[in-house]
Amino acid sequence: MKEVITGNGKIIRACGLEGSGCSLPAGQVGGDFFEFISCDERTVFAAIGDVMGKGFHAARLMETIRQMLRECVRINPHPLEVVRRLNKVGGCELRKCGAFATLCLLCYDGIAGRLTCVNAGHHPPFLLTDGKVKVARCRGVALGLLEDYLGSGAEEFFLAAGDGVVLYTDGLVEACGPGEERYGQERLKEMVRLQYGADADRMKQNILSDLETFTRGFSQKDDVTLVVMKVMGKAGERGGD
Amino acid sequence: MKGVEIRARQQKGMAILEVEGELDFSNVEQLQQEIQRRPEEVVEIDLQGLRFIDSSGAGMLLSQARHLYRQGRTMRIVRIPDLIREDLEVIGFFRVLEVIETNPNA
Repeated sequence: MKEVITGNGKIIRACGLEGSGCSLPAGQVGGDFFEFISCDERTVFAAIGDVMGKGFHAARLMETIRQMLRECVRINPHPLEVVRRLNKVGGCELRKCGAFATLCLLCYDGIAGRLTCVNAGHHPPFLLTDGKVKVARCRGVALGLLEDYLGSGAEEFFLAAGDGVVLYTDGLVEACGPGEERYGQERLKEMVRLQYGADADRMKQNILSDLETFTRGFSQKDDVTLVVMKVMGKAGERGGD
Repeated sequence: MKGVEIRARQQKGMAILEVEGELDFSNVEQLQQEIQRRPEEVVEIDLQGLRFIDSSGAGMLLSQARHLYRQGRTMRIVRIPDLIREDLEVIGFFRVLEVIETNPNA
């Protein structure tokens, strides 16, 4: 996996996928995180999450969950098993602190072109295919709220070259401008739709620019984290069978 | 209004806590202490006036609900504004409430 790290951002290329993510804290450090994990030569994981709370404790817990996530992927890379195991080991740490964490885990198989999604209390991803945006249906209870993970299971999609996937935290859709209106999922969905054809990093930058236009510099209550992935190659080509 | 305002009253042996404003990590202890202070068997949290809740607020409500059910008591969360309901649904809040009503140690 090739990685470029810049400040709060990271750009990767792996398994025929390009990914670009960034996390913008609001005020003091928070619990938002994103992660790209290379599993083997054909599989790459992307995760986004939010640990409850603010400040040093949330940031420390977030680091613990990130490390545990990497370890869970190493032990058994089946996406549903990763989330179940993380809920067991990470959930225990979270409950000790009276906290919980949301997580959306994606696993992309670059040979099959298959994207598997498991959700634990996070906003489901947007999928951009042929200029149309679809919202994944996978749902689940956030990590640490119950002893055993409870969710709708693993959802699968087959991606073609040019298709995109967008993950975000609640800070993005709940961001407000000078009025009390939220940026909202509908505006984000439309913004994602308009990005068809752009590369992952350009998509991310365009969405963040639109958010800045909307909020007009108004200070936000929550961190904003955004991860965009795109299957490399010319739009319309199959990513695999 | 920034911050949170809590109005407490008693009705037919039940505590009713009306929560107004923005419930977040900076003020979540106010509501937590008020819930813990109530001796009634049923504690009802009325969220009609709530405009924002963050993960600390949602986590506190679930931990207090779990605590009350362990004591054989009940916590009801009522009149939830649509936007707040959507935020809570994402984390699986209502699914967790269902589970801990029947098994508070789950």
